[in-house]
Amino acid sequence: MKGFEPKIIGFLCNWCSYEGADAAGRARKAYPANLRVLRVMCSGRVDPQFILEAFKEGADGVMILGCHPGDCHYKEGNLQTLKRYYVLKRVLSTLGIEEDRLRLDWISAGEGDKFVQVVSEMTERMRQLGPLPR
Amino acid sequence: MAERIGVYVCECGPNIKDAMDLDEVVTFVQGLENVVLTKAFGLLCAQEGQELIGKDIKEHDLTRVVIAACSPKEHEKTFRQCLEKAGLNPFLLQIANIREQCAWVVKDKSLATDKAKAIIHAAVRRVAYHEPLEVKEIACQPHALVVGAGMAGISAALTLAQKNRKVYLVEKLPCIGGKVACYEDVFPSLECASCILDPILDEVLHNEHIEILTLTEVQEVLGFYGNFLVKVTKKARFVDTETCIGCGACLETCPVTVKNEYNEGLDERKAIYIPYAGALPNVAAIDKKHCLRWQGEACSACREACPFGSITYEDTDQVRQLRVGAIVLATGFDLFDPARAPQYGYGKVEDVYTSLEFERLVNSTGPTQGKIVLRNGQVPEKIALVHCVGSRSGKFHEYCSTVCCMYLLKFAHQVTRQLSGVSILGFYSDLCLPGKEAQGFFNKISQEGNIQWLHMKEPDSIEITQADGKTLIRFTDVHGSPREVTSDMVVLAPAMEGARDAGAMAQIFDISQGAGEGFFAEENSQIAPVSTAIEGIFIAGCAQGPKDIQSSVAQGQAAAGRILSRLVPGEKLALEPVTAEVDEDLCCGCKLCVGLCSYKAITCDNLKNNVAINKVLCRGCGTCAAACPSGAIKAHHFTDTEVSEEIRGLLRQG
Ligand SMILES: Cc1cc2nc3c(=O)[nH]c(=O)nc-3n(C[C@H](O)[C@H](O)[C@H](O)COP(=O)(O)OP(=O)(O)OC[C@H]3O[C@@H](n4cnc5c(N)ncnc54)[C@H](O)[C@@H]3O)c2cc1C
Ligand code: FES
Repeated sequence: MKGFEPKIIGFLCNWCSYEGADAAGRARKAYPANLRVLRVMCSGRVDPQFILEAFKEGADGVMILGCHPGDCHYKEGNLQTLKRYYVLKRVLSTLGIEEDRLRLDWISAGEGDKFVQVVSEMTERMRQLGPLPR
Repeated sequence: MAERIGVYVCECGPNIKDAMDLDEVVTFVQGLENVVLTKAFGLLCAQEGQELIGKDIKEHDLTRVVIAACSPKEHEKTFRQCLEKAGLNPFLLQIANIREQCAWVVKDKSLATDKAKAIIHAAVRRVAYHEPLEVKEIACQPHALVVGAGMAGISAALTLAQKNRKVYLVEKLPCIGGKVACYEDVFPSLECASCILDPILDEVLHNEHIEILTLTEVQEVLGFYGNFLVKVTKKARFVDTETCIGCGACLETCPVTVKNEYNEGLDERKAIYIPYAGALPNVAAIDKKHCLRWQGEACSACREACPFGSITYEDTDQVRQLRVGAIVLATGFDLFDPARAPQYGYGKVEDVYTSLEFERLVNSTGPTQGKIVLRNGQVPEKIALVHCVGSRSGKFHEYCSTVCCMYLLKFAHQVTRQLSGVSILGFYSDLCLPGKEAQGFFNKISQEGNIQWLHMKEPDSIEITQADGKTLIRFTDVHGSPREVTSDMVVLAPAMEGARDAGAMAQIFDISQGAGEGFFAEENSQIAPVSTAIEGIFIAGCAQGPKDIQSSVAQGQAAAGRILSRLVPGEKLALEPVTAEVDEDLCCGCKLCVGLCSYKAITCDNLKNNVAINKVLCRGCGTCAAACPSGAIKAHHFTDTEVSEEIRGLLRQG
């Protein structure tokens, strides 16, 4: 598996997590180039279909990043995401996709450092898991 | 689909240019489907950059634009305006963030080049499916709602009431004025409370811009700043407010007697009642819970007695929808229930009173016409005033209730004034006398009467019991020694808490409360003390925290000022264009989305068996679209197709 570089799709909510990612950028914090970001207004917009599609289209890992519980710009969109996340994990495992290939986390607008850490961890984990067999 | 997409790659000085191979990026983009024009430019957000885009849109008939530059948070608005100026719908733009999320965070030039290509590819694929969206405007509601007609609410209402603006002042009781209307005198001036209050109440009652809704409570709030839709229920009063003059003829004939909660339960009232003499508006009300007509009897004693024909048994509760632009919550306080701390003997020892009960006792319109007497009618010779009941203790509330020292001093003054020779015992562990008037007030009152200060070790080092017909007070003094005294009357100063139903209000208005004490949480306790986390919803007075009249009035006026500065009549409010929409033909009426919407924007048409989304209420989060099992909900600007294309663009590079 040496030299394998995973492709990771990240769904980031506009208000907190996308801001957090921008904050990491403004602070010039380097993180693995493997992440490809897709901005949604709220993590609640992330249709499970999108995640399956990302895996189908070649992603080795998918991240959903939203506001911390209680901080969602739309009150409770992220709680919906959380519920779906548990269901999705089970669906993925029946499809033979390792659970770790999907990660949900909360990143606030000020948490540039946490964003870098989460992306780095995810990339490292995907490197360990290797390419998603298709 | 034959769109004509123009892609502009910003060099952002050296910021983007030096971080990647821009020539390679441009060459890659030129080969993408639908792209008819690709340009790298020094600084796109500068005037020349914007002009270039505008010119190109016209000259090259561009139908879509992609800007690969800094974060959309920086300049999405700028470039949208640029499109609009050139006659293109502003939503036919997509920003590819190759600065914050690429150039600045990927140190390897070739990796940065690849990542930028992927980001732009996704934007190009996505933008081809963008639809023009329209920003609709609605008139901003200049009207305001004030909940709670105490000092804070009234001050807010009077400040807000102006030409072209209506203020709805909602009060759950039959009368206005809040707690202060029940007081005889007020500290620190020791002026008579009604002398201060009555002119103000009169002003509110006769202000043509203020509509007072008594016996009214808020049920539901929809919408947002500038456009709230508030549902209130006005309970039937069964007395016509236009014709009743408050003569009281009805009260005399009513056969039902119940405890009078407006005199803190210290006396009785009838089922038709005026809360207390002097209550405003001076109009009777029927208490449906106790009136015989609602127990199935045919009593009509009050109607027969009324000389003005004002009794209207046929009244019903009215539900009203109020449209307002902003809201002030001034629901005030209630006292900590001292029965929760049995050591104070409240409810068990006969002559132990709360401070609000004492206010009624000493009030000329109260149950004893202002005479300070024990329950057995005798005049007390010794009165104990107990500070900090439930305040400043780890057991109940850690905070200081701010006004108790001052009103207990006021009580000392009232007692001394009325009962010569009375001795007063002040049980305290600390005194709170800040500001420019309090210490002077303390000095003055201390010298005035016979007050013995008993310094306790802790705020709650005290126990009150009944022994041999006497009220026995045991306490630990500041030196740790146990001591014992007797007293005829005890007046407790229970902690101030948020109003009893503040929790329900917080839910309805979607604002937060401090834990345990029920006060509404301010946006920032230092620099935004009267605003909340919800734009357009303000808090004032004791609803925000314990305070005196002066501070309550100041907050009411401050909240009103905040509203006046922004909610200008005639102002337009731009609606969110990025909303969700239901395809009626695809919707199966499962209603899964209805409960998910935080804004109650989705309603169900049971006849058609499908749902619809209110465009004014929808904020565009897209949660409903993600949940719809039949794919009937379209999240504009984040449609399934747009997102799918973006996913493909990010992954299928080159
Ligand atoms: C015993 C005592 C004596 C005091 N004496 C003095 C004094 O002498 N001088 C001084 O400066 N301060 C004094 N204070 C403090 C003073 O009472 C407060 O500062 C003042 O009452 C605060 O006004 P407010 O409008 O915030 O609240 P409140 O007076 O509590 O008024 C709130 C109003 O909102 C209404 N309301 C509550 N919930 C709802 C709802 N859900 N819907 C609609 N309406 C609702 C209530 O019925 C009430 O009319 C005293 C306090 C106490 C306890
Ligand atoms: S807006 Fe961030 S999760 Fe909803």
